Amino acid sequence: MAPKRSIFFRLVLHVGIVLAFGAATLMTAAYFYARTAADEAYDRLLLGAAFQMSDGLVVLDGEFRFTLPPSAFELLGLARNDRIFYRVVSSDGATLTGYDNLEPANDLSSSRQAPVFGNLVYLDVPIRTVTVARAVSVAKGADWAYIVVGQTTDAREELAAELTVRAMFLVATMSVLALGGTVLAVRYALRPIDQLGLALRRRDPLDLTPLEVAAPRELSPFVTSINYFINRLDERMKLLQRYVADSAHQIRTPLTALTAQVSLINEANLTPEDRRHLDRVRNRTAELSSVTNQLLSHAMIIHRFDSTQLVPTSLNDAARKAFRAAIPITLDPDMVVSFEPADDDPVLLGDMLSLREAIVNVIDNALRHGALARLEVRVMNFGETGRVEVIDDGPGIPEADWEKVTRRFYSSDSKSGGVNGLGFAIAAEVATVLGGQLGFRIQTENQPFCVFIDVPLIKERS
Amino acid sequence: MKTAVRTVAGTALLCAWPALSSAVEGDRAVFAAKGDQDAYLIIHAATDIEAMRPLVLDFQTMFPGTTVEYVDTVTNELFREATEACAGKLPSSDLLLSSSVDQLVRLANDGCAHAHVSTETEAVPEWANWRNEVFGFTFEPVVFVYDRRSVPADEVPRSHEELSDLVRRLPDKYGGRIGTYDIEASGIGYLLAFNDSLQAPTSFGRLLESLSRTGIVIRCCNNEILGELTAGRLHIAYNVLGSYAYAASRTNPDLGIVLPFDYTLVLSRGAMIPESAPNPKAAAAFLDYLLSQRGQQVALEQSFFFAENAPLPEGVDGPKALMDSGIGRPIRISPALLAAQDAIQRRTFIDDWKDLLDGF
Repeated sequence: MAPKRSIFFRLVLHVGIVLAFGAATLMTAAYFYARTAADEAYDRLLLGAAFQMSDGLVVLDGEFRFTLPPSAFELLGLARNDRIFYRVVSSDGATLTGYDNLEPANDLSSSRQAPVFGNLVYLDVPIRTVTVARAVSVAKGADWAYIVVGQTTDAREELAAELTVRAMFLVATMSVLALGGTVLAVRYALRPIDQLGLALRRRDPLDLTPLEVAAPRELSPFVTSINYFINRLDERMKLLQRYVADSAHQIRTPLTALTAQVSLINEANLTPEDRRHLDRVRNRTAELSSVTNQLLSHAMIIHRFDSTQLVPTSLNDAARKAFRAAIPITLDPDMVVSFEPADDDPVLLGDMLSLREAIVNVIDNALRHGALARLEVRVMNFGETGRVEVIDDGPGIPEADWEKVTRRFYSSDSKSGGVNGLGFAIAAEVATVLGGQLGFRIQTENQPFCVFIDVPLIKERS
Repeated sequence: MKTAVRTVAGTALLCAWPALSSAVEGDRAVFAAKGDQDAYLIIHAATDIEAMRPLVLDFQTMFPGTTVEYVDTVTNELFREATEACAGKLPSSDLLLSSSVDQLVRLANDGCAHAHVSTETEAVPEWANWRNEVFGFTFEPVVFVYDRRSVPADEVPRSHEELSDLVRRLPDKYGGRIGTYDIEASGIGYLLAFNDSLQAPTSFGRLLESLSRTGIVIRCCNNEILGELTAGRLHIAYNVLGSYAYAASRTNPDLGIVLPFDYTLVLSRGAMIPESAPNPKAAAAFLDYLLSQRGQQVALEQSFFFAENAPLPEGVDGPKALMDSGIGRPIRISPALLAAQDAIQRRTFIDDWKDLLDGF
């Protein structure tokens, strides 16, 4: 599925298109409005000049006489660069004076009711004309004379252009402001989506509790769906855990029987070859039971954190119990083991059983894969945090593998044939749930390899 | 046709041509290029060739490759030829110079002009530029000229009213001794009289009426009037272009010049490049030169003697600040001049004028 373009881009694009259309419409309207305004302004000058000229038309001794008032031209001269054309026509169509080939588009007599404006191309330039009629008294009665005044359109176009440019500037400014405002508004409106995404991204993969993000109404169906999905995943995970625990439990009973049966085999009757096979069977069975136990304990821990209330717990006690449980009675007598509690007992908010299991797994791992002749368990109190260190004189774990060993079913020591998958994973999970972490310290000349668990302590009760 | 007549040699072959005669041929002079000729500029002018000579020669120091053919004619003739050239019936000149600016405005209004814009044209005052087609390139007050030998200082008129009064008070002395243009024959005479009637209808009417009683001498053009003054046949000439009057007074110290104190018309001689000019580039170069500071300076010193922002020449009696005081009334180069060019208007005005002065 190709990714769709961002909501931000689409919103801004659509608003931009609407604004562009709006601006284009407004600008067109401004252009026509400016044309009309300029025409009206200059039509008045034209009409005024025509009226003044018509005043100069008199009948003397039954004959038309015309005096051209220069003020009419002064008036038209207000459009300073425009050329002026005029024509005075008597009722019989004869040109009294002016440009005798100036023919307005309208019929002359149509101006009897009211002055008529028109547009015309005269001497190859566009001009605006007005025709006014004037009734005059001649010997045989009343008669009509007409005055046509034309003017080129430079000043009108200049005014119209000026008005249009100003309007366009305003419209463009408003459009840019509106688009800028849209960008900001869309950014602001889309921020909860980013916040939701960030909350999802930052979430611990193990955290399957519902999302708690303040989301706007429009996003709540989305959040609800996510939470519904998380809930289903959580249920499914629990189901899986229970299945694993049940399976481990089911396996334990036949496994115990199998171990018993193997121990009953009479080794004396066996050939050396068969005896070797039997040893292997015995080892594998032991590993199998260990893994089964770990699976059970893992499931138990997870179950406990789901259901048990955390209580103040002594780190010294937990470590001591773990030390006792983890060191087998059958330990090689050459191995030196020691336990060193903290002087000032660190107390944390935790669960004794889980904590003990975590430490047991670390010690167990050290005995199996690390310690050659020495193993120390130490508890320390740093005030804010408490630490349990498990130190051995073994080869340690290379730094590159530190991250991998905390995964389930990973063994750094695959050559030993042991499947030691869950030890560190259990310890790391417990530490994480308690707000702490599982850590490693590299070995140096003076300092043997160390695995430690850090957990935050309860604030001192004073 | 004020400037109408004159020979290259400058001897006063006083204008003997009735303006209506259509085939008047003006004087023609060719100023050959000073270097290799690369442009040929034809100027049709209603402007004294002697006045223009220093300008043309100075122009040629800047553009030595330009040959200038200068044809001096009278205003009405120039207008007629330009109109026909615009209609395609005659070959066009490259540049028209005329004191009768209303005729140039009419030509421009009819679409016969070629627009020209340059830094020089942008410096032209707004009243002397129409559509970047017609430019005023001079500043010429319209003056009274009198003969000191016959007009004592206390009789010198300093306004149009004083002129009327003088004629009424001393009809015997001044009857038939006042001269002015024949406005029918002279385009510039008509333009000045028309503007007089607009500026001060009452005093103009009174003046005409006074003159009609005592008699007036009308002549076709400036130089004829100035010649009559010099000859002692006229005492006072009315509505003479200041530039010509001042040029005449330099050779004849008896001529006194007055700029009227009630109002003084100021004419800016017009220049226009015709639409069909064969060499508009050379015309534009010459026009730019005329409008440039250098050209204006040469004109002030050698050709026209007056400028808007220069003091009056020595010996000329007139207001100190001609324009700022409001006494100077420029004839604005604008479409309003079309009113003067209306056929009926012109006919009526001239008929009325002739009726008034009839009998002299």
